Amino acid sequence: MTSKLIVNSLRHTGASADAITMDASGNVTFPGNATCSGTPSGFGGITMADIWRVTAQFNSNAGYTYLTSNWERADTGNSGQIGTGMTESSGVFTYPSTGVYLVQYGAWGNTNSSSAHTVGINIQSTVDNGSNYTFVAGRYFSIPNISTYNYGGGTCQHIFDVTDVSTHKSRMVTYSSSSVTWEASTSGNNVYVSFIRLGDT
Amino acid sequence: MDRNGRPNHIEDYLITVRTGQWFSWSNTKNKIYANLIVLDGGSKPTESEVTTGLSTLQTAWDLEHDSYRSKRRKAYDTLPNQLDLLWHAIDADSDLKVKFSAFYNSIKAVKDANPKP
Repeated sequence: MTSKLIVNSLRHTGASADAITMDASGNVTFPGNATCSGTPSGFGGITMADIWRVTAQFNSNAGYTYLTSNWERADTGNSGQIGTGMTESSGVFTYPSTGVYLVQYGAWGNTNSSSAHTVGINIQSTVDNGSNYTFVAGRYFSIPNISTYNYGGGTCQHIFDVTDVSTHKSRMVTYSSSSVTWEASTSGNNVYVSFIRLGDT
Repeated sequence: MDRNGRPNHIEDYLITVRTGQWFSWSNTKNKIYANLIVLDGGSKPTESEVTTGLSTLQTAWDLEHDSYRSKRRKAYDTLPNQLDLLWHAIDADSDLKVKFSAFYNSIKAVKDANPKP
């Protein structure tokens, strides 16, 4: 026999306020703190986290380089992943489900006995499946000539509202005003992008 | 390259051949010449070219890091500190203040306008 308790609120015998309240629409509110000893699910925690990197070094010189090749999911250093990850094709990243995503892109490089006055990384996104890309985040810096090898790098972030996974995609770009070697690697995240689903769209 | 910047892998030579992502590896965990793939339709350097190219880079790096220029570059104080030393040397000599008045007075004007507390 099924039992059903029909109440509007629950309260500890010694408390002066409700611990749980329920409205007619089925919404449940915990006015105080809530502790869960088991594994919670469906409470809006992070359901997707994924990180990718470029596996081979490359050189850019006086222009943009769209990172169309050599992407791999990070697989060293006990790398973790939550949920269904991203898919990548020719440097274009497709999201596994709609939602609001934090996209974090980072890269560093070096110059050989020279300076590079304008060096940058950009995240570009499209909402029409690649017909048009928009610059959405960037980080620019200079690499001064202070040694035989001079290093510089940066990160940039974008929070992307992905309302349609077939049209909303992202790609990564580097820029340098003169010759820069980007230190991409298959053993560490040197030129990388991470995606974390923050919540529903 | 290693942590000092010394080329130590054929990839360090390959990036000098062409710009952009023109090459890849069929096994990213085993970056040897046999696994080198060309992506841009250009020519693939021979194994000899690659090994010789890396060796040339290493020789150049070793020469540079053993040179007096490299040793001096590492030992010099920063440019602002060197200029400060120069200014104070002039400041201590009345003749030099006249000889290098443009340099001396332009810096002195900034110091006078922003005195130490």
